[in-house]
This record gives sequence, C-alpha cells and structure tokens, in this order.
Amino acid sequence: MSWQARQSFLGPESESVLRDVRIAIIGLGGGGSHLSQQLAHIGVTNFDLCDPDLYEDKNHNRTVGGTHADIDAKTAKVEIAARLIYGINPKAEVNAIKDRWQNVLPVVRSCDVLFGCVDGYTERDQLEQLSRRFFIPYIDIGMDVHKPEPGYVLHGQVILSLPGSLCMRCFNFLRPEFLEKEAQNYGQAGGRPQVIWPNGALASTAVGLFMQLILPWHQEIPGGSIMYDYDGNRHTMIMSPRVAALAGVPCSHFGALHDTGDPLWIP
Amino acid sequence: MKVSFKIQGSLVLRMREDLRRPHPHAAERVGFISCRFGTIQQGVLVLAHEYHPVADEHYEFDPNVGARFSSAAIRSVLQIAISKEVGIFHVHLHDRAGVPKPSLVDWREWAKFVPNFWHVRPALPHGALLLSRNQINGWCWYPGRQEPAAMSRFTVVDSRLVFREATA
Repeated sequence: MSWQARQSFLGPESESVLRDVRIAIIGLGGGGSHLSQQLAHIGVTNFDLCDPDLYEDKNHNRTVGGTHADIDAKTAKVEIAARLIYGINPKAEVNAIKDRWQNVLPVVRSCDVLFGCVDGYTERDQLEQLSRRFFIPYIDIGMDVHKPEPGYVLHGQVILSLPGSLCMRCFNFLRPEFLEKEAQNYGQAGGRPQVIWPNGALASTAVGLFMQLILPWHQEIPGGSIMYDYDGNRHTMIMSPRVAALAGVPCSHFGALHDTGDPLWIP
Repeated sequence: MKVSFKIQGSLVLRMREDLRRPHPHAAERVGFISCRFGTIQQGVLVLAHEYHPVADEHYEFDPNVGARFSSAAIRSVLQIAISKEVGIFHVHLHDRAGVPKPSLVDWREWAKFVPNFWHVRPALPHGALLLSRNQINGWCWYPGRQEPAAMSRFTVVDSRLVFREATA
C-alpha cells in the first residue's frame, strides 16, 4: 500500500501530479517550515527553497524541524527544511538555496506554484509581480500582532493570487501607504512578533488552497483568486468579504503586455 | 534547451471557441498567439499573451488543405510582431481528445512561414501550437537554430492548474 493511500479521494492521478509539480517556498521560518513539512507529507517531491538566513534562538519558538543543535551550529533555515523534507520523503528533490530569491530568479520562475512566507509588504509586492509576469499562482501567508488597548490583536491572511484574476492590491491587502510605512508599522509587540500556532493554521489553509488548485476534490469555493482572514483572538479563518464583493471584477493592476515575461528578454 | 509553455485558461477557452467556428469555405480555422518570454532553469518559458484569429476574408479556397490563409493574414500578424515586440505562434485545432500530433502537411506549412517571422523579430522565438479537445502540443523555432525544438512542458493556469510534461 502506498503511503499516500489514505488520500486516494484526490484522484487516481494524484500521486503523479504531486510527484511532478514543482513548488517554491520563499522564507523558511515560521510559515515556510510548516509548509515544507505538510507538502512533503502529502507527496510533493520537487522543492525550491529560498532563504538566506541562519537559524537563531529567536527562531526557535516557531520553526518546525529546528533543534537546539541548529542554534549552536547556525544551520541555514533551508537546510533545516530540506532535512525535514528528506526525513519524510527520501525520494524528494530539494533545491535548498541559502540566498535571496532575487538572486536566483530563473529558479523561482521555473516553479508551478510559489509560496511566499515573507515579513514585509514590499517583498510580497515583488513576489506577486514576479508571479504575474511568469503566470505562477502565488500563495501568500502572513501574520501580525497589534496592540490596541487592552491586550493584543493577533491576525493574519492567506491569499491565493491567481494570474488573470484579482491581485493583492485588488483585495486591498497591498496598499501604497502600507508599502511606504511598513518599516515603522509592522508589529508593535517587539520586533515582528511570530508564534507557532497561527503559522500552523495559516500554512494548513495555504496547503488546502494549493491542493484545491492542483487536485480539486470539490467545487464549493469560487474560482480565481481568494483571500482568507485569520482572527487569532477568536481562532477563526473566514473567507474575506472582499472576495464576494469583487466577484466578476477584473484585476486592474496586471495583465498588460509589458507585465508579461522578462522585460528585456534575450535569447 | 528546454522550452516550457504557459497560458491562462481563459485564453485557451477563447482559442478553442474561435477555432471551432465554421467557416464559409475553409474546413478548419487557424489563428496566431502573441507571446512573451522568460529565462528559466535550463531553458526558456513561452508565455501566451493574446490570441489573434485569422479574419474570415483572409482564408483562401484550397480543397487540398484544411485551411489556407492569404498573405494579408501574414502581413496582419507580422504587423503585430513589429508593433508589440512579441513572438508569434501559429495555432490550430485537432478536434479530438489526446495529445495532438502534427501531420506532414502541418510540418510542411509551418516550415514555409514560421521562419518568416524572424524577418521582423529576429531575436525572438516563434513557433506553432496544436490544440486538441483537452491537450496542447507545440514547437519552437529558436533564434539561431534552424530546427524547431519540441516544447517539453505545458501549463494551463486557471482555477485548476493543469500541467503536462511531454514524453520524448
């Protein structure tokens, strides 16, 4: 019996589809480590992992697969994720890139689905622009903590940005003022607060959207781009009301010829 | 060199709908898609951007082939290549299921006109695509190479992402 037998409802071709799909994960911290673990368990085989960072004690509260020894050894985050994936599936093919994704663009462009687990709005914006240029579905996850009095508000988002459909600007998630002010506004709980349980919820939803994209097992959610709002105080994940409000509206930010492919492609 | 092809689902739908329309005297319809390009690992990515159907009046009567288009049709698509900096790929439909394979006539005709696109866009790839009811196949004339390269991966980006790795 195949180790994927319990997910046979995904269809007779599911094993080959999962074996052939190529995914890239940008950011292998709290969100990306969850993604790599779940995707490996499902049967995804081809991974491109990009993150220049080394593992530190500040990452240890939320990085799946990270160990105390990795703190001492300053193991690269991508190496931790690769180790995790190979432990689940020794036949996996992992391209662990200890570098910024901007330095390995041909690699990132080669993927079928791109996951973004990055901190800032600017980098999300760049990733979405790349995904639109090269017709790559982009799945973004992120969380934040704000501090209105009293207590804290923990929230996040999962967005599937599908080329030809609504983008993160359409959903009003990326706004010019956010891009300008993110440096001073991002997180008020002491330097980009992150915890493991919201990352797990967000990553699980992202994996669900990914599976819906490549091996749909139902037709209950609308096609096209989609956004989920995570409320970490109430522990809920709901489809953003913007999805229904924008139903049938075309994206006004992407789709022009000059947005497609390499701007200065040469053979 | 690996040539991969990506297209959005809505464009595939539009092409199939147009190519299935009957013509007053041609047995089948043809069209062109304009494409942009990207560098990927070990190859090039062809990105389909826009479909350009051949106008009814640009078909010539020829009972020996499914469709024969006039020089006006070629001029029209050459103008697109000039004005928009795009590669041009001829497209037609084999209206049956499965991976479509070109006929000898397809190869003969492609060899006649596809390299002509280099007269206006010598630095860009051009080529030909074959659609079936459920698959795509394609060949790419790459700058500096006389023989076309078979595309090796096809991806239709839609609410369901469909990709196919071509077998040798």
